[in-house]
Amino acid sequence: MTKKSSLHTVVLKTITAFRPMTVLTVITIIGAIVAALFPPLILERIVNNLTAGQPIAFLLALSYLGLLALSGLLESGQNIMITKFGQKITHGLRGEMCTKLQNLPAAYFTANEPGKITSRFVNDVDAVDAMFTNGIISMFADAFKVLSILAVIFYKSTGLGLLMLLIIPLMFALTRLFQQRMLTSQLANRVAISKVNNHVPETIRNIRMIHTLFRQQYMEQQYDAYIDESYRATDKSNLYDSIYSPIVIFFSAAIIALMMVLAAMGGSMQQFFGLSVGTAVAIIAYVGKIFEPLESIGMEIQNIQAAVAGIRRINEFLQETPSQHPDSVHTHPEPTVNAQPALCFEQVSFRYDDDTPVFSDLSFTVASGEAVTFIGRTGAGKSTIFRLALGLYHPDAGRVLINGVAAAIIPAAKKRALFGYVEQSFHLVAGTVAEQISLFDPDISRQQVETAARLVGLHESIVAFPDGYDTPGEKAAFSQGQFQLLAIARAVVAAPQILLLDEITANLDSATERRVLEALKRASQGRTVISISHRLQEYTQNHRMIEIGDHR
Amino acid sequence: MSQGRPIKNVTNPDRIGSYFRLEAGPLLLVTVSGLLYNLGMLAGPYFEGQLVQRLFDIINGNKTFASMVTLALTYLAVILIVQVMRAIKRFYVRRFANNTSRNMRHMLYNSLVNMSKVELEQEDLGAVMTKAIADVDACVEGMRKFTTEIFDTGVVLVAYLGLLFFYDWRLAMLASLFTPLAYLIAGGLKTRITRYNAEYKKSAGRLNNATMDRISNAVTYRIYGREQNRDQAYEAHLQDYEQRAVLANLWENTMQPLYNIISMCGAVLVIYFGARNVQGSGWTSWDIAAFTTFLSAFTKMALKSSKAAKLFNAVQKAQVSWQRIKPLMKAYVVPNTNTTLDFSRPPQLEVTDVSLRWPGSTWSLNAISFSAAPGQIIGVTGAVAGGKSTLGKAFIGEVPYQGSIRVGDRELSELSAYERSRLIAYLGHEPELMSCSIAENIRLGKQESIAAVLETVCLDQEIAQMPQGAATSVGSGGIRLSGGQQARTALARTLYNAGPILILDDPFSAVDRRTEQAIFRNLRRLAKGKIVLLISHRLYLFPDLDRVLFLDNGSGIFSTHAALLKENNAYARLYRAQMAGGEQHD
Repeated sequence: MTKKSSLHTVVLKTITAFRPMTVLTVITIIGAIVAALFPPLILERIVNNLTAGQPIAFLLALSYLGLLALSGLLESGQNIMITKFGQKITHGLRGEMCTKLQNLPAAYFTANEPGKITSRFVNDVDAVDAMFTNGIISMFADAFKVLSILAVIFYKSTGLGLLMLLIIPLMFALTRLFQQRMLTSQLANRVAISKVNNHVPETIRNIRMIHTLFRQQYMEQQYDAYIDESYRATDKSNLYDSIYSPIVIFFSAAIIALMMVLAAMGGSMQQFFGLSVGTAVAIIAYVGKIFEPLESIGMEIQNIQAAVAGIRRINEFLQETPSQHPDSVHTHPEPTVNAQPALCFEQVSFRYDDDTPVFSDLSFTVASGEAVTFIGRTGAGKSTIFRLALGLYHPDAGRVLINGVAAAIIPAAKKRALFGYVEQSFHLVAGTVAEQISLFDPDISRQQVETAARLVGLHESIVAFPDGYDTPGEKAAFSQGQFQLLAIARAVVAAPQILLLDEITANLDSATERRVLEALKRASQGRTVISISHRLQEYTQNHRMIEIGDHR
Repeated sequence: MSQGRPIKNVTNPDRIGSYFRLEAGPLLLVTVSGLLYNLGMLAGPYFEGQLVQRLFDIINGNKTFASMVTLALTYLAVILIVQVMRAIKRFYVRRFANNTSRNMRHMLYNSLVNMSKVELEQEDLGAVMTKAIADVDACVEGMRKFTTEIFDTGVVLVAYLGLLFFYDWRLAMLASLFTPLAYLIAGGLKTRITRYNAEYKKSAGRLNNATMDRISNAVTYRIYGREQNRDQAYEAHLQDYEQRAVLANLWENTMQPLYNIISMCGAVLVIYFGARNVQGSGWTSWDIAAFTTFLSAFTKMALKSSKAAKLFNAVQKAQVSWQRIKPLMKAYVVPNTNTTLDFSRPPQLEVTDVSLRWPGSTWSLNAISFSAAPGQIIGVTGAVAGGKSTLGKAFIGEVPYQGSIRVGDRELSELSAYERSRLIAYLGHEPELMSCSIAENIRLGKQESIAAVLETVCLDQEIAQMPQGAATSVGSGGIRLSGGQQARTALARTLYNAGPILILDDPFSAVDRRTEQAIFRNLRRLAKGKIVLLISHRLYLFPDLDRVLFLDNGSGIFSTHAALLKENNAYARLYRAQMAGGEQHD
C-alpha cells in the first residue's frame, strides 16, 4: 500500500494495459472528425456550379453521399470504441475497489452501511462510465471537431474566423457558469439517491416491526422525504440543462445572420467577409456543425458533472486508510505450535475510535485444548475479545497472540485451519447451500461439506431440498435453529484448531436448542473452545469462566 | 411537502397510461411548446435558403443591402421564439419524467411496505431492490424519450415531409423512398436489441447482487480468509458484465449512423434532380433558395427518421423494465384506521382451545387455554417441544390459529391490522432497528418524551455518556450499538408504542442477568394496567410472575410458578437445572 490509487491511476493502468485498443479508439475518432469536414465542401462546389449556371455531374452528387456514408461509418466506429473503452475503465475501477475491500479495517464495515458502500460500487461507478462514454472522450472528439471546423472557416473567410474566435470564449464562459450551477444540485441528488437506496432493504429487513407498530405511513413519509430531496435537486439541474442548448442554437443563428449582413455590405467589408454564394451555403453548414459539438459538450458537461461527485466519493473510498498492523513492527519469532497457548492476551488495552476504553491492561491465557467461557455485563467487551482474537481489530497496547503469533499478521490462507467462528446470527452468502458451508473454498470437498452437515444434523434436511446441496441459499427453507446449525457447520468444515462461539441471538425452541447444543458438543471435540454465552448453560458447565470488565 | 408539487397516489398503477394521465399539466405544456418548436424548426432551412438567395441577388445587384438586414433580423426573431419554445418543452418533459419517477417509486414503496413478512421472504432481496430502483429509472427514461420523440421525430417528420412535397412532390416521393427501408431494418433489429438488452440487464442484476454480497458479508469473508477467493468471483461477474454491456451498446448505438446513410441515399437524387430544377430542365422550376431549403430540410428529415429507431429502442427498453415493475405495482393502500373499539378501557385476554401449526410444518400446539387480566404478567415457557415463539406470532397474525383468542369482547382474527396494532405490542428476537438515531428509532414519528422508556430499559445512563446522546445514529441494523444496547433500544421502542397488551418474545437474551432484573422491576411499574406475555426460556424471573403458561408436548398448562413447581415434574426439573447452572454467572 505504498502508492495510493485513485480513478486517475486506474485510467492510466487501463490505457497501458489495452494499448492497441486505445490507439484504435484515437484513430477512429480522428477519422470521424476529418471525414465530417468534407461534405460541406462538396456542397460549396455544387452551389457554385449552380450559380454559374453549370450542370451537376451525377458523380459529384454521388461523392456527396459517399463522404456522408464514410463519415457516418466512422462515427459508428467511434461509438463502438468509446463504449468498449469506457467499459474497460469501469471494469478496472470496480476491480480496484473490490481489492480495496480487503485492505479496509473491519471498523469500516461497522461505520458504513452496506447499502451506501454498494451505492459507490454501483451508482457512482455507473456515473463514471457515463462520464467516459458520453463525457470526456466524446468531449475531446467534439473539441477537436470545433477546432478543425474553425480552421476551415478561417481558410474560407478570415473575418468570420475572427468573429468565431470572439464568440467561442464567450460560449465557454457560459458553459462554465452552467457547470458550476449544476454541480451543486448533482451532489445533493447523489446524497439523496443513496438514502433512497438504503431505505428499501432496511424496510424489507424490519417489515415485522413496521407492521406490528403500524408504521407503514411513517416509513412512507420517510421514503417520500428522501425522494423529494432527490426530486428538487434533479429539477434544478434539469432547468439549467433545458436552457443551455437553446441558448447555444440562438447564438449560432445570430452568427449566421451577422455573417450574411456583413457579406452583403460590399465595399471594404467585401474584402474581409466576402463570400461566394456557394461558400455561404458551406459556411451555414459549418456554423451549424461547430455549434453541434459545442451543444454536445453541454450535454457531456452534465454527465461529467454527475460523475464528479461520484469520482470524489470513489477516490475517498480508494484512499480510505487501510488497516494498520501495529503488531508487525515487533513481530514475534515463528511459533512453536504446541508449546504456546492457543490464545494469549498480554496487557491488552483497546478502545473503539474516540470512545471510552473497552478494557485496559487485560491479560489472560487459554491453553491449547482448553474450554473457556467469558462472562460479564453487557458492553463489558466480550465480543471485542473475539474481534481482537480474529485479527479484525488491533489492540492499542499490549499483544494478542494466537499460538504465539500476533493475531493481526496471521495470513488469510491459514485462518480457516486455525479458527472456526460461530457468529451471533448466521450470515447468508450469495451461493448454494453447500457454499454456505464451504464459503466457496475449492479446497473443501463436497465430502467434507457433507461430513460437517452430518455432524450438526442437517444432512437429511438438506438432501430433502429440491436440488439438495445445490439449492440456492436464499431458496432453502431453513428455520432459525437450522441456520444456527449451518453456522456451526461452516465453522468446523475445515477442521479448525480453535472454535469461537459467540452468544447466539436467535431464540430457539427447546428441541432445536438441544440439537444445537449437541451439535456444539460434537463440534468441540478435540478443539480449544472459547465461548461467550448466557444461554446454553448446560453446554458451558464444564468450562473455565473468565469474567470481564467488572472493575469498571 | 414540496411546495405545490405533492407526490401523487396513482389509480391503476399497473397501467403505464395512468402515469401519463396524472401528468396532464406538464404534458399539455410539452404538447403546445413541442408543436410550436417543431413546426418552427422549418424556419431554419427556409430562412437559410432565403438568406443565400438574397446574397446571390445582392451580388448580382438585384436587391439592396437594407433588405438583407430586415431578412436577417426576422430570421433571428423567429429562431428566438422557436428556441424559447424548445427550452419550455425540454424542461417540462424532464419535469414529467421527474414527477413520474417520484410517483412510481412512491407507489412501489407503498406496495412494498404493505407486504407481509411471509410475502417478502419469498422475494429475493437483491432482486426487489434492483426492480424497485434501477428499473424505475430505466422505465422513466424510456417514457421521457418516448414523449420527446413523439414531437421531435413524429411531428417534425410530418412537417418536413409537407414542406418537401410543397416544393416538388415528385422529387420528394422519390427521395423519401429510402426512409421506409431504414424503418424496415430498424424493425428487424428491434428483437435483437431487446434480447441483448435483457441479457445485459440480467448481468447487471447479478453483478449488483454479487456487490451486495461481497460488501455486506465482508467481515464474514475476512474471518474465514475468503476475501481473495470472493474477489476472483467478483472479477468473473465484472468480465461478464463488461461483455454484455459492450454487446448491448453496440447493437443499440451504432445502428443509427447506418440508418442515416440509407435515408441519405435520397440526397443524391435531391442534388441531381434539384440541380435540373434550378437549370429549368427538371420537373419544376426552382431558384437557389428552393434548392438550399429542400436539401437542408431533406438532410434534417433523414437524420430525424434515423432517430425513429432510437424511439423504438427507448420504448423497448422501457418495456423490459416496466414488465418487471408492473407485477409490483398495486393499488395504493391507505392503512385502514377505522375502528369502533374503545381503547381507553384495558381489555381482558381470553385464550380458549387454541391450536397452532406453522404452514408446511408438522409440529403443532394443541388446545392451549389461558386468560389474563390487566396488570398481570404471564410467563410463557416450554420444555422439550417448545412452540413459545409460534404462540407469540399468533398474536400478530403471522401464524393462523384455531380456537378462540378474545381481546376484550372481540375475536383476535376479526380485528383489523390497525386495531390489533393498537391493542397488542410485539417484540421478537430481531431488534429491527432503522439506520437513524436512537431517539428516532424509539419515536418513529411520534413526539412524546422518551426519557421514561429509556430509564425503564436501563439505557438512560449509557446514552447520557454518548457524545450525541439519544441523537446518536445506530448505524445500519443498529450495528454501532452492542447486542445488548440494540435489544434494549428495541424494547424501549416497543414500550413507547405499547397498547394494553405486550408480547415480549425473549427480550433479554442479549442482556446480562443483572440488567435483566433491573429492567423487569421497571417493567412492572410501567406496565401497571397492562397485560404482559413474557416468553422466555430463562426461568429465574418466573417466581415473580403472576401466572405461568408451561408448554409441554404440544399442550399448555396454565398455573402459577409455585403450583407448577409442586405439581409438574418437567417444569420443576427445568427450573432447578437453570438455577444450578445459572448461578455461576453472577
